[in-house]
Amino acid sequence: MNLEVFLFYAFAMLAIGSALLVVSLKNTARALFLFFITLFSMAGLFLFALADFVAITQIMVYVGGVLILMIFAFMLSNKELLADLQNISGSFLSLPSWQSVLLAIGFFVVILIGLKEWNNDMPEWILSNIKSGDIILPNDNNIQQLGIKFMTQYVLPFEVISIFLLMALIGAAHLSRKEENR
Amino acid sequence: MSEILIHILVPVVIFGFIALFTLFAVYAERKIAGFVQDRLGPMETGKYGLLQTFADILKLLQKELINPKATDKALFIIAPIIIFVAVFIGYSVVPWAPDFIPANTNTGLFFIMAVVSIDALGILMAGWGSNNKYSLLGSIRAIAQMVSYEIPVGLSLIAAVMITQTLNLNEIAYNQGILSSESIKFLGIWDVTDVGGILAWNIFQAPHLIVVYIIFFVATLAECNRAPFDIPEAESELIGGFHTEYGGIRFAFIFLSEYAMMFLVAMLGVVIFLGGWNTPLPNIGGLKLADWTTGLVWGIFWTFAKSLIIVGVQMWIRWTLPRFRADQLMNLCWKVMIPIAFVCLAASGLWRILVMN
Repeated sequence: MNLEVFLFYAFAMLAIGSALLVVSLKNTARALFLFFITLFSMAGLFLFALADFVAITQIMVYVGGVLILMIFAFMLSNKELLADLQNISGSFLSLPSWQSVLLAIGFFVVILIGLKEWNNDMPEWILSNIKSGDIILPNDNNIQQLGIKFMTQYVLPFEVISIFLLMALIGAAHLSRKEENR
Repeated sequence: MSEILIHILVPVVIFGFIALFTLFAVYAERKIAGFVQDRLGPMETGKYGLLQTFADILKLLQKELINPKATDKALFIIAPIIIFVAVFIGYSVVPWAPDFIPANTNTGLFFIMAVVSIDALGILMAGWGSNNKYSLLGSIRAIAQMVSYEIPVGLSLIAAVMITQTLNLNEIAYNQGILSSESIKFLGIWDVTDVGGILAWNIFQAPHLIVVYIIFFVATLAECNRAPFDIPEAESELIGGFHTEYGGIRFAFIFLSEYAMMFLVAMLGVVIFLGGWNTPLPNIGGLKLADWTTGLVWGIFWTFAKSLIIVGVQMWIRWTLPRFRADQLMNLCWKVMIPIAFVCLAASGLWRILVMN
């Protein structure tokens, strides 16, 4: 077993284990801090897909932004709300929301189908790409390719996301503005 | 096998460097404080008090590790490690000399920005885990400040990257001196590719980059919670801020990470704006000063010297300027620095399209 395989499984186990702990821990503060480990190991898994830019963005956006905002929201919410959150009944078979069960079963079926159809051979298109040398190597500069793709092939999604983010920004600025005395 | 050995050796050397740097930086800080305040500073231990910081670290190392009763133990213990590791990893992508860089990655600059933002999480962890009003207040102040000031830092870096066209710190340093593969123009007019020296530094490649560097410098001061932006640990209001409850070796690690962060941001500024390991001496006709002073040893020397000068300026500022109030701090960030940074961003784009073609 070489180092890469070992690291891959270590990150995968960390991600799954910490995610399970995040949803099962009673202590919300610790669960939130533990969520960091989930995100971090996910970033590690992205590295194995040679998506280093995505991995770093994951850390930057989720750890540097979203997670800290979540912890802030947790610290600023009142005690009763949190007590309510922490007193979820512990029994396994209680069904407070059946929608989530449906969703979970749906995803599980997707995974099962994927597992059934999986075989050890690589698909045709990957083999042909390897033959023609049309592949990304670990040392390649992905950022330039990303930039070109963003500005040509994926320019519409890119612009839509920008407008969406701008809307969110304006909304946030509007919400946080003080009410003027009328 | 030898490759793995190098992978282990490099972090150890960097850690040793950080520890040694911190020892001397603390001494320098006290001496500069003494000079500014017209007193002598440490004089008792060793000649001119040179051994004072060694005595301090010895004292810290043998102190008992105290766990206050009400702390969230796991968070309390992990927090200093996360704070230090976040800064420590940042050193892995900064070049010291031509091709003398722990990890030569294409995403170096972006990587540093991401990794340093983990630092904020560690501080929040320390503040929450200590279960102490002052610690929590200090950490919340620190986060508010760090998250806000990350924006001008990011914008100023983007403004510089638009000129350099790469995120690879090794290449950024390369393209600021005589070893550059592209042509360098001083202020966009005068081709200085063969002259090198101070004229080829990024800060002089476009006039607005000087403003960008000032923004970067001020914002990184706030980013590492240094005076005049040290409200997170304002001694007179908050005792010690987020590290109030820490003692012994845990406090030593928080302290170490603060000084490591100072040097890291100084070095980052040097690499991106001030030429990195390139010499400040230009080639003047037959006097090939730049050619003579470029190389491995010279590279390390120049990086080190420039970074130390920037660290010196950071200390000088700490002891001369009074602390900002919280609202002044936010005003400065959101109403002054971010708009200027945006203007510089636009200027960089225009400069790249109109002048550098």
